[in-house]
Amino acid sequence: MNTTVPHTDILTIQLAIAAVLLPFVACLLNLFLVKGQSKVSGWLSTLAILGSFVLSALVFSKVWNQPALHVQQLWFTVGTIPVNVGIWLNNLSVLMLLLVTAVALPVHIYSIAYLKGDDKYTRYFAYLGFFCFAMLALVIVDSLVLLYAFWELVGFASYLLIGFWFIREKAVLANKKAFIMNRIGDVGLLIGILLIYSHYHTFDLITLFGDHNILSSIPADKTWLTFTGICLLMGAIAKSAQFPLHTWLPDAMEGPTSVSALIHAATMVAAGIFLLGRVYPLFTPDVLTIIAVVGCFTAFMAATIALTQNDLKRILAYSTISQLGFMMLAMGVGAYSSALLHLAAHAFFKCLLFLSAGVIIHEMQHLKEKHNLDIDPQDINNMGGLGKFMPVTFITCIIASLSLIGFPLTSGCLSKDGIMVQAFLWADGKGWIYTLIPVTAVITSLLTIFYISRLLFKVFLGKPRITQPVEAHDGSLLFKAPMVFLALCSLFPLFSSNPFEYEQSWIYKGFAIAVHIVGSLDYHTIVLLSVNVLAIPIVFLTYRAYVKQKVSFKTGLLFKISYNEWHIDWFYHRIIVKGVLYVGAIVLWLDKNIFDGIIHLFANIGVIIGKLTAWTDKYIIDGLLAVLTSIIKQAGNFVRGFQTGRVQNYLLTMLLIIVVIYVLKTFI
Amino acid sequence: MSIEQVVFFVLGFVVLASALTVAASKNLVRSIFMFFVTLFALAGLYVFALADFVAITQIVIYVGGVLVLMLFAFMLTNKEVLNNLQKSDGRFISFRKLPALLVSALFLLILVNVIIKARPDSLAWIQASAQNANVIQATDNMVPNIGVGLMTRYLLPFEAVSIFLMMALIGAAHLARKEEHKF
Amino acid sequence: MSMLTYLLLIGAGLFCIGLYIVLVKRNAIQVLIGIELILNAAILNLVAFGKYDKLYNGGQTFALFAIVLAGAASAVALAIILNVYKQYKTIDPNAVDQLKD
Repeated sequence: MNTTVPHTDILTIQLAIAAVLLPFVACLLNLFLVKGQSKVSGWLSTLAILGSFVLSALVFSKVWNQPALHVQQLWFTVGTIPVNVGIWLNNLSVLMLLLVTAVALPVHIYSIAYLKGDDKYTRYFAYLGFFCFAMLALVIVDSLVLLYAFWELVGFASYLLIGFWFIREKAVLANKKAFIMNRIGDVGLLIGILLIYSHYHTFDLITLFGDHNILSSIPADKTWLTFTGICLLMGAIAKSAQFPLHTWLPDAMEGPTSVSALIHAATMVAAGIFLLGRVYPLFTPDVLTIIAVVGCFTAFMAATIALTQNDLKRILAYSTISQLGFMMLAMGVGAYSSALLHLAAHAFFKCLLFLSAGVIIHEMQHLKEKHNLDIDPQDINNMGGLGKFMPVTFITCIIASLSLIGFPLTSGCLSKDGIMVQAFLWADGKGWIYTLIPVTAVITSLLTIFYISRLLFKVFLGKPRITQPVEAHDGSLLFKAPMVFLALCSLFPLFSSNPFEYEQSWIYKGFAIAVHIVGSLDYHTIVLLSVNVLAIPIVFLTYRAYVKQKVSFKTGLLFKISYNEWHIDWFYHRIIVKGVLYVGAIVLWLDKNIFDGIIHLFANIGVIIGKLTAWTDKYIIDGLLAVLTSIIKQAGNFVRGFQTGRVQNYLLTMLLIIVVIYVLKTFI
Repeated sequence: MSIEQVVFFVLGFVVLASALTVAASKNLVRSIFMFFVTLFALAGLYVFALADFVAITQIVIYVGGVLVLMLFAFMLTNKEVLNNLQKSDGRFISFRKLPALLVSALFLLILVNVIIKARPDSLAWIQASAQNANVIQATDNMVPNIGVGLMTRYLLPFEAVSIFLMMALIGAAHLARKEEHKF
Repeated sequence: MSMLTYLLLIGAGLFCIGLYIVLVKRNAIQVLIGIELILNAAILNLVAFGKYDKLYNGGQTFALFAIVLAGAASAVALAIILNVYKQYKTIDPNAVDQLKD
């Protein structure tokens, strides 16, 4: 790590900020000013990214292996807690800055041609610009709060781009899945951040993780540190698609291929590794072991699954998961710089692989429309022999694949070797259980060789598998130029002058600890030789199987497990998703029947009281009145009865009264 | 008991008996004729009260006028009415008649009580007139007295009665006129 | 008991019988007869006391007047009964109850 004496170089900081904001400006312009399908949006975004790239290169040259730059300002206070906003440019920041812009530029150029004719052309470039902005901002911020904020924004941009063709049901399901799984990880990240704050009372990254950081000065409970580390790890696991939160990445392939290239191969998924790099001083040896185990297991699992998949992009997705596992493994065993070296290398060759996959799928789509075939343009079982029709694509793809395998003379060789050698060194003297990890890593490398050769041979070599005549060609210059650029970046000259010594790589030297560990064996040579020697028979086997079709593999139990992606998705769906939905249904029932029931009960009581009152009013009160009136009526009717209209009755009454008066007068 | 007293009691009995018959009979004709008998017996009583002119007048006017008039009026009413009446009266002692009977009996009691208590013989003016020889004797002829009295002392009532009679005549004649199908 | 008392008693008896007839009978003419009986009882009373007024003969004179008036009254009454009969086709006083409430 380089020295982190805070040093304010205003110009560099301003350049860095400009580099970050340029894509955002392009995004806003595309959203609000440019019309729907105008080509201007594409060129505008590309121009912005080019500007960003240039500025990032400038900043890189100023800061790499120089004292780090740091500016900070108070943003707001919550009670007595100050939250600052600031920028921290150290080696890791500027490397990521340069890397992201370097990969985004060819993708932008490629996208101009790839999404031509799409009715949401402008929106695509707006989203892409937004993503670049968020990713670039993520790598330069200096506080955990802002880190979390941009982390979320990157996730959001990914969601928008995965579901870009939101008319398709599968795309919508995929982006929902991606977002939810990322959220699960983000919960861990948030808990981790809050735990850090509760103990160290600061969000500042430099204070926490820079040189002379407070982690070493303030003692902390080991279990607590381990727990915090695991929480932070959760965020990285979700973002970098590690086991168990990896199932979103294969489904994210529903987005446009250029999106897959940029986000899900090179940059966003690397954000998890970046996070681990940022908070590396926090991890206890236990957490590091866990990281190593998770990474190793994921790498192995993804490689086994990639062996049997038939969808072109899915193979590449699992390959990404596997390589990210490698990077995490590297972080875990202490090969910090190798991990970052692999991150850089992987960004280039994986992006290239995806871009070429995009071209291939494009051509297959044309074929499908022309001959009205009912095929899936992404299925490699329908491809074959495309190599002679698309030479540029074929060659760049081969270069990328060799880099992936770790063939000598490529960048991948440097990084992968570095990881495996350091893994062996780490396991050295720790007991045979620990040796399992590097051995598994080696096995995974061999599996990698198998699946990528399978892909290459099935797609490019052999005879075409569709019966109609195949007419395909390389893309236009807009397709070819980015791919060639990325292919050149996948070769060793970019990374190191010596193709075999990873320790000579300038990236490695930028991050490495100056101690050269010597192991019990000369792992360096052993690993290099063994992997590459074993590569040859594997490639030959694959060639015979898929090109000559002289060997076929049995489809036994292992095949089924691999083909069904270890049934993890099925497990998640059946047990977790359904469980949660079931709980939701129960709560809904509870709410509807019991809580609403109580309210209905009160309402009904009110209604009943009302009815009772009405009854009382109608029958008792009105009844009293009615009784009164009826008494009066009856009295009236009774008295009325005296008016019979009969004269003799009247006379009788009068006489009676006279008699009564006489009697009264006489006797009283 | 001299013969005058016997005849007097007989006449008195006849009056009351015929009056009772008038009350008790259901037949209208029978009651009218019994009334006829009552009037005659009353005239006899008047004679015994030494008011012979009144007796004659009674017979002439009441019997010869009023009764005949009643008979005529009765005859002018429809026969159906008579038939209805003969059915509807019911038994003599019926519940319907009880209140009237009661009232009449009570009145009788009252009147009898008053008369007996009053002891008309011992009234002051009667005793004074008896002393002053103001009592009419059987041998006296009162008719000229009545005539003179009508023209002198009782002239006003006499004239008033005559006007009254004229009014009654005109009125009754008008009331009983034949309607010329006025609807 | 003197003749005066007896006459008065007979008068009282006639009066009550007349009253009974007026109250009970269903024929208007019989009611009229009852009224005549009452009048006759009054006249009897007058005549009975008139014996003791030789000087002015007030009792007998008024008895004459009473007879005449009774006659006139019965004539008019009969005319009325005739009209009632013409109107209601009946001379039952109980049937003529138009003034009933």
